[in-house]
Amino acid sequence: MIRAVVTGLGAVTPFGLGVKTYWNGLAAGLCAIRPVTLLDTQGLRCRLAAEVPEVIPGSRRRSRADRLALAAAVEALEDAHLERAERAEVAVVVGAVGGGMFEAEEWYWREAGRGAVEPDRRALGAVLPWSHAEVVANALGLYGPRETLTTACSSGAAALAVASELVTTGMVDLVLAGGVDAITRICYLGFNALKLLDPEPCRPFDRERRGMSIGEGAGFFVLESAEHAAARGARVYAELAGYGMTSDAYHVTSPDPEGRGMARAMVEALTRSGLNAADVGYANAHGTATPQNDRMEGLALRAVFGAEGLLVSSTKSMIGHTMAAAGSLEAMATVLALVHDVIPPTVHLDSPDPEVAFDCVPHRARHAAIEHAISNSFGFGGQNVTLLFRRACT
Amino acid sequence: MQAKEVLDELKAILVSRLKFDPRRAAEMTADTPLPKGIDGAIGLDSLDFIELSIAIEERFGVVLDESEDLAPHFASLDALCRFIVDRTNGG
Amino acid sequence: MSLPEGRRRVVITGVGAIGAPFSGDSAALGASLANPQPCFGTLAPGALAGVMDGVDARRLSRVCRLAVAAARLAATDAGGEADAPLGVVVGTELGDLHSTRDFADGYLARGQAGLSALLFPNTVMNTMAAATSIALQARGLSLTINAPGIPGELAVARAAASIAARRAERLLAGGVDELDPYVVEMLGRMGVESGGRGEGAAFLMLETLDGARARGARILGEILAVATGALPARPVGVGRSNRSRVVQLALERTGGRVQDVGWVYASLGGDAARDAWERSVLEAALAPHRPPLAALGMLWGQHAGLGALRIAAAAWTARSGLLPVTSLDEPGVRPRVNITRVSAGLGLVHGVARGGAHAAIVVGPAPVG
Repeated sequence: MIRAVVTGLGAVTPFGLGVKTYWNGLAAGLCAIRPVTLLDTQGLRCRLAAEVPEVIPGSRRRSRADRLALAAAVEALEDAHLERAERAEVAVVVGAVGGGMFEAEEWYWREAGRGAVEPDRRALGAVLPWSHAEVVANALGLYGPRETLTTACSSGAAALAVASELVTTGMVDLVLAGGVDAITRICYLGFNALKLLDPEPCRPFDRERRGMSIGEGAGFFVLESAEHAAARGARVYAELAGYGMTSDAYHVTSPDPEGRGMARAMVEALTRSGLNAADVGYANAHGTATPQNDRMEGLALRAVFGAEGLLVSSTKSMIGHTMAAAGSLEAMATVLALVHDVIPPTVHLDSPDPEVAFDCVPHRARHAAIEHAISNSFGFGGQNVTLLFRRACT
Repeated sequence: MQAKEVLDELKAILVSRLKFDPRRAAEMTADTPLPKGIDGAIGLDSLDFIELSIAIEERFGVVLDESEDLAPHFASLDALCRFIVDRTNGG
Repeated sequence: MSLPEGRRRVVITGVGAIGAPFSGDSAALGASLANPQPCFGTLAPGALAGVMDGVDARRLSRVCRLAVAAARLAATDAGGEADAPLGVVVGTELGDLHSTRDFADGYLARGQAGLSALLFPNTVMNTMAAATSIALQARGLSLTINAPGIPGELAVARAAASIAARRAERLLAGGVDELDPYVVEMLGRMGVESGGRGEGAAFLMLETLDGARARGARILGEILAVATGALPARPVGVGRSNRSRVVQLALERTGGRVQDVGWVYASLGGDAARDAWERSVLEAALAPHRPPLAALGMLWGQHAGLGALRIAAAAWTARSGLLPVTSLDEPGVRPRVNITRVSAGLGLVHGVARGGAHAAIVVGPAPVG
């Protein structure tokens, strides 16, 4: 049986550039949700977001999202210490939703009054989600299988799931996989219109929660066959031991009210990993802080794991909902939790919702040595993905 | 505004924003129930009600406060008309 | 045929398509392939009449309707229990750009009051897969693959690999794209030719061989192997290298050799530079062997669903022994089609996209016994 292990990480997050900055922010329980600077939010009910605060490296000719992807991808590949010669075989799997819409919107908003007939070639050429995989693969010389997946809010997780499939089925030895999203007007306005955003920083699992905070960023993994990693002496962060992927087939925006699709995704991840519920010590929740999601997810977690013994936290409380990047950035938080023996907290959790029957690690990170952890991503339209990670043997 | 005017405007909104067929909208009466799951209702769900709220706010200037229990007002076209007439006449 | 341990065989049991050249099931596809007529561009008005019966289509955007309609046709064509576990894998190049623009226009015209909650979910291109899952109550995995050039091929490849790896039992796999007039206009202004495009959707029902046999399903063909990779090229560019291991990998996975390839369905579609590149790649992969080649994209407008139809067509050729060989000798002139008899062998479905994505899918006849 071929096992898929994590040998490289790269990130650009609302805390700044790099994985180290990301983990330091999570471990310190910092909140990166602040007033929006990149868009005009005049008159909107919610005017906060978790933007990447630093200048993203890369040519200004590239879209913001392409630059996020490239920066995180470069860090991950360098972190994995892959030789140049090995890059040609590397597969690329990217979870993406907004693509280069931020720049395309700039053009459209500016030109709408004139009928928007003269295209901005650069912006439109990079608008579709497939742009990131094409840019990253060709800039870095990666010519293995190439896929861009769009599964709404679980895209980053779906990318890791499919990437692990490529490895465990023996199709490739190495995959660069992750998710990326830059803030866009359409996303921000849309969630505002649906009244799904909290005017204050979001409060997952809190009794007073009122909705999400939007974020942006990119998180990339190098996934590798365990044998290949061992042969070249690569440092292993953790094993991606299994995953579950299901659909609610219920409603285009609302989750199944009993959380059945969510529960099935978690059970599938356990089964595929050959584990029982009791083997899992930590769940990084989807935890968007909408009244609905947190309630359904709480029910689903309870149905699968019982009411006790599982630590649960939502890192969206710190970096917001980073859309297509969420699945991969939260998987990264999960992996780093296993590596550092530290569970990132749920911040703003002043009055835990009694309906959610778990210790949600309020306010401060907690020391805990965990053997197995899961990361949940439950996308719009009922697209559920659960990833299960096993601590690396040292 | 009069209830009849409001009813006509609501039907126009059901066509333009909620994508109902104009013939279907023409057949609707004040008694027509709205929410999904009720016999004879036109089958609106939570997403439709959000769209309807946005449209009502735009067309009638009536702001729907989500902390209020709005379900009774959305039970039928008649209930919704009376609610809107009420709010636009300073009730 | 050698299979890695634990992997399962994948068969095609249904086809559904909505498109300008034809709409219908595997029989309709066969009839169209036996007598193919050139057909590009948009669907005739009323093309969706009757195929949405029983579906609450009120909120479905046009591109979602195309997907749901084709998926339903494929499910009906395949038969079987309506509530057997089912997933969907949808390929698309353009997604629902029409709805995205409508959503933006609403805001630009009327501010927040002009925002549509109903349109918003369509701005994420998993909307077609979500609509299909809901309409068919498909609760298995759901994936949307967005790619230039060959999204349908990649979707079927992903689905076949998932079933082979025991990740799914039954999957509807294919693609959908619509031709939005504004998008076409912008592409034109950017110098991207759209004359070879079409719109529509097509899905294949894929399932395990054992499952198909157990329920007495009619089997249309088998997907023997898939392989994907990429050639060096700038994004949306045409590369110079024609060397890729993808075809070789696909054949290795079936235990076959280059000489076993009896016919090819290629992704050629009238983009001269890209077509020349694909022909060079194919030649490098198969030389000195030169199996006859069909290029459906020279006859029918390209959209993501055509990728799935190429695979179904390869299975049809395995059953019928006929191939609509496209003569490609005179660029710019309507290609001639010769319905040719082919001898037994493997079908190779081949695709190369601008930017370098490369796919090879090996198709064989329905297994006997």
